[in-house]
Amino acid sequence: MKGLLHRLLHAEQAGLLIAFILLCIIMTILSPVFLSAVNIKNVLRDAALVGIAGIGLVMIILQGEIDLSVGSSQAVVGIAAVSLLNYSDSILVSLGGALILGAVIGLVNGLLVTRARINSLIATLGMMAILRGVAMVSTQAVSIQAQVDGFIEAGTGHWGPVPIPVLIMLVLFAAFYYLLHHTPLGRYIYAIGGNTEAARLAGLAVDRTKIAVFAMGGLLAGLSAFILASRLNSGQPNAGLGFELQVIAAVVLGGISLTGGVGTLIGAFIGILILTVLNNGLVLLNVSSFYHDIARGLVIILAVYLDSRRKQSLVRRLLQG
Amino acid sequence: MLKRIFLGLVVAWGLGACGGGGETPPQESALKVGYVVNYMSHEWYQNICQAARDRAAEVGVELVIADANQNVGDQISKAENFMVQGVDVLVLTPVDAKALGPIVQQAKEAGIQVITEANPVPGSATYVGIDNEAAGYKAGEWFAQQIKTRGLEARILVIGLPNFEDCRQRVDGFKAALEASGVDYQIVQEVDGQGLKEKAFKVAQDALTAHPDINVIYGINDDSTTGGMAAYKAAGLDESQLTAIGFGFEGAVGRSALLGATPYKAALAMFPNFVGVSLVDAAVALAQGKTLPAHYETPTIVVTEDNFPTYYTKEGDDYAMNFAAIRKLMP
Repeated sequence: MKGLLHRLLHAEQAGLLIAFILLCIIMTILSPVFLSAVNIKNVLRDAALVGIAGIGLVMIILQGEIDLSVGSSQAVVGIAAVSLLNYSDSILVSLGGALILGAVIGLVNGLLVTRARINSLIATLGMMAILRGVAMVSTQAVSIQAQVDGFIEAGTGHWGPVPIPVLIMLVLFAAFYYLLHHTPLGRYIYAIGGNTEAARLAGLAVDRTKIAVFAMGGLLAGLSAFILASRLNSGQPNAGLGFELQVIAAVVLGGISLTGGVGTLIGAFIGILILTVLNNGLVLLNVSSFYHDIARGLVIILAVYLDSRRKQSLVRRLLQG
Repeated sequence: MLKRIFLGLVVAWGLGACGGGGETPPQESALKVGYVVNYMSHEWYQNICQAARDRAAEVGVELVIADANQNVGDQISKAENFMVQGVDVLVLTPVDAKALGPIVQQAKEAGIQVITEANPVPGSATYVGIDNEAAGYKAGEWFAQQIKTRGLEARILVIGLPNFEDCRQRVDGFKAALEASGVDYQIVQEVDGQGLKEKAFKVAQDALTAHPDINVIYGINDDSTTGGMAAYKAAGLDESQLTAIGFGFEGAVGRSALLGATPYKAALAMFPNFVGVSLVDAAVALAQGKTLPAHYETPTIVVTEDNFPTYYTKEGDDYAMNFAAIRKLMP
């Protein structure tokens, strides 16, 4: 037990974890319902959408790239999923379509970045605009209602006491933790993000890895879009507005470096939890929405400050010791 | 090669964004009206534009429409384009009313009358649109009556969009009517749903966690109200206890909620199509030399299952507005 505590405190994410716990303590004191089972479930369910798409973004950012199209992809994939659902009467077909479409979008992003050699910021910015436009054109800006019973279950249902999206998120975090830290692909991703040229010279299939990671990121964004559509029981052309920034802010807050090669999935998970708890808590406390952005900005700066101070002191100690 | 295709796409996209307009073939000596809408992608404006086109064709007006896509710079340059093309009347749905003063002045100096939709801009001949505060008041009056007849202990969640003046007025009017009626009620919480179903769902979910005894949801548009309803259902609360009131009632979302067996009992209908008709009518009146009031108010009414058939007629899978009945509501 003591060993575990020691490891936790000296883990890379300790600063973040402390910030998260502090935030939870403050919320618990201020709101009597914050620690209720219902609210914890709500927080985790909100975190699941950001989390599932966030895993993909963590991998993409780790290899030194970015994907701005995940927000618009929530709209396009959600609309496609609901249309497929209404057409086929099958939730599985709808899910399959959502995953395939998401992966194809990611694949195209990957090809634009590696084969067409377009900077990923620009390529995915273009993709973001195109997808939003497609969502608007294909629906004429009118949302599509799902007409199949049971569809809403995927987003709001439970497995025992655990909401299904939360379960999916936890399983995916475990799986991708394994992938990033215990498989060659994971090591390639870190190596490419750390130093692309060195990785290329060492004989890694840089482009193929990047394409695969973009496609996986797209697939995960497609999955979160499916869950969102199910939760709203409809495909919304304006779904996911600003979602990409929410996800990027959360994972960067969690210590994923935008220059690539640095950061962990656990850190990103804590970053996502911090921002979700904050959004949740401000509504529970009935704080005017005008203050939400200010609070979000302050927490991001504070958490990253705590983290960097802790790292500096660690470096000092290592140098002295 | 790929790069070239990509460049081609970018160029085409750019051209598309700058284009717009010029949809109607020119007719000799017809009244020419140019309309720069602020955000064509929104269902609300699609309805306005479609109805305006139909009305223009009906009364022989040449109407050209361009989309500012929420960019006030684009709105100004497109308005200038229309002026160069020689429109007689310029119609604007302001992206930002404060930024349009100079262009309205410029148009006036060129002898072009300006009509704005939704918001007034100083110098324009009139603005066409609903009175948001009065409309909110009607919704409040309807609900105060419900409190009285049903003996309801109202604990209200307001899902607003406080960034926008119009949406604040919808809430202010609602509250004013409740206050004036003298009934007992409590506004438990006001949240910002940003007018989007996804965001409304999230904030309503948190508000319902803090106050599970909420039994009334008032949203500033249909996505806000239905997003709140979805959160209420997801929280496992008893839907038969809930009364939801919508605002706008512009499309299928509100209609299916009202006609289905849901907590959505009433909506303040804004009749966007009739706003489109009114834009053309106002332009025609101006061209005939008539003076219009500073606010050309379009009708609103609280729609319930009972009076729905008066204002809407089923046409195939869709519903059409009964313009004659709506016209009778003109203030």
